[in-house]
Amino acid sequence: MTLLEPPSTTAPSRPAVRARNRRGRGRADRKPRVLIAVTALFFALLYLPIAVVALFSFNSKKSLTVFGGFSLRWYRAFVHDDVLLSSLGTSLRISLVAMAGSVVLGVALALGLVRCRTRLGSLAGLVMLVPLITPEIVTGVASMLLFKGLGVDLSTGTVMLAEITFSISYVTVILRSRVAALNPEVEEAALDLGATRWQAVRLVTLPALLPAVLASAVLIFALVFDDFVLAYFTTGVDPQPLSVRIYSAIRFGVQPTINAVGTLMLAGSVCLIALALFIPRLFGRRGGLDILSGE
Amino acid sequence: MDATPAVRLDGVSKQFADSYAVHRLDLDIEAGQFFSLLGPSGCGKTTTLRMIGGFSDPTEGSVQLAGEDVTALPPNRRNVNTVFQSYALFDHLSIADNVAFGLKRNGVAKAEIRQRVGEMLELVQLSGLADRGPRTLSGGQRQRVALARALVNRPAVLLLDEPLAALDLKLRRQMQVELKQIQREVGITFVFVTHDQDEALTMSDRIAVMSEGRIEQCGTPEDVYEHPASRFVASFMGTSNLMSGTYRGGAVALEGGPALPVGARTGIADGTSVSVSVRPEKIWLSDFEPGMSVLSGVIRETVYSGPTTTYLIELAPGVTLSVLEQNTARARMEDRWSGGETVEFGWRPEHCLVLA
Repeated sequence: MTLLEPPSTTAPSRPAVRARNRRGRGRADRKPRVLIAVTALFFALLYLPIAVVALFSFNSKKSLTVFGGFSLRWYRAFVHDDVLLSSLGTSLRISLVAMAGSVVLGVALALGLVRCRTRLGSLAGLVMLVPLITPEIVTGVASMLLFKGLGVDLSTGTVMLAEITFSISYVTVILRSRVAALNPEVEEAALDLGATRWQAVRLVTLPALLPAVLASAVLIFALVFDDFVLAYFTTGVDPQPLSVRIYSAIRFGVQPTINAVGTLMLAGSVCLIALALFIPRLFGRRGGLDILSGE
Repeated sequence: MDATPAVRLDGVSKQFADSYAVHRLDLDIEAGQFFSLLGPSGCGKTTTLRMIGGFSDPTEGSVQLAGEDVTALPPNRRNVNTVFQSYALFDHLSIADNVAFGLKRNGVAKAEIRQRVGEMLELVQLSGLADRGPRTLSGGQRQRVALARALVNRPAVLLLDEPLAALDLKLRRQMQVELKQIQREVGITFVFVTHDQDEALTMSDRIAVMSEGRIEQCGTPEDVYEHPASRFVASFMGTSNLMSGTYRGGAVALEGGPALPVGARTGIADGTSVSVSVRPEKIWLSDFEPGMSVLSGVIRETVYSGPTTTYLIELAPGVTLSVLEQNTARARMEDRWSGGETVEFGWRPEHCLVLA
């Protein structure tokens, strides 16, 4: 509060300032230590295991309990592990395809849901939310049974289909509020100036939605890349997505290489999520991820 | 003048659920005119404009532009452009690209686009801001961009949906004058929707006063103001002293008051309930001329507002008239009436309107 005072005022005596500061930090302003401790404990439980994984990824020994010194040994091992590398490639492919597919369909669905004001439309809007609350294992088992029932061999393709289906809801939830906030007169203005309906959407509506579209694309990429449950139930034997490959590897004894892979995945995901939160700011406005950032 | 109207609405209706937003509207708008659709909110003026623009399909009737039936054509195939109430600028494009949008869609050559956009920005005095984004502009500037973006396409008709409603009063007055000047300069037919009767009176060549989906009266500003065709028009256009009574033999007997001589009117049967309307500024308080109707009443209120003073004069219990007097150089402070005094007032017979 003293900062806000104009410097031109005659300086009050020091004791007076101190007294005011003390009064300013009254009972209500003091931070209760218990709450600080609980918060610290929460973060410790949340991040310590991850920190341990990250630390031991740099271990020079093979041990998972004794830290022998800093080394990039396990990262080198990962880079030369063809099976893990091919799984990484598979995961990247799945994530990219799922991202593209779910963004295209999700944006279209968001546009449709906001503009379709029939009863069937609002019903579709509710049904669309179901994947968000369905336990992922149920979605996973159901997808697997569906593919089996249809006689489709499980493969990278089936993982992509399942992931797209599952991710559309996220894109639509993020985009829907943005679409609803659009001024309908803007698209009408495009029509008025000679644009066809499709041109109006492409030249005016989509650019206005771009920040939210990019943000949701990055989010979907990160979610799909990290996904295990759905991938586990819908993947074929070879090649397997990275998360499934890691799980299989752990069953036969934990290799420290996994620590290195896990740390890399974590770093990648953190970067992507940060990017998703940052993109709307790049466009100088609030974007589609208000739900995530709590803003 | 060209015999084919720029816009013709032929029995146009728009029905929402079971109510009519616009009901069997017939309207001709001559080419080159500044035409206003005036009315309170919900009177159907914006719906009418949207049907001309192609954003709303009439339930019945037809819309013609320059003699061509366009009822079934989408907005992008009509030779009209719109200035939207929200301006509806494209925020991701620069001012110049906003203005160029329509020309690009219509395949105009690049060099010509650059030239026409430049000229148009000059006309609306925004030449220095061509590369800026719409978000960085003030309300008045955004309004000009919207105008330039529509006018640059040289439409046969420009539709304006309350374009000045979001501006503050001073800017609004300034834009009224500018819009009128621009319209004269480009010679394009303007169809202007507004709920502000002052705005319509100052800017228009012709005004259609609308109420409940119908046109109450269509005419020049002077017609509509001086000779309102209905009670609604008289009360909506400015202030009117509206008094109800019964017509009998050249006079209207007010309810609980005296009979006002209004002269013999053809077409009104004795015993008909009518409204009598006299504008406050048409009532005199002194220097009566022969032939005027002169009555007396008690001053109940005096409201001084700079150039004018308004008196509320009670003619009879429950019948109060508002009288507007100019505070001219000759009028002295001490000559002004004060409350409780009995005064004489009068009007010329032609200023006393009898509305069925």
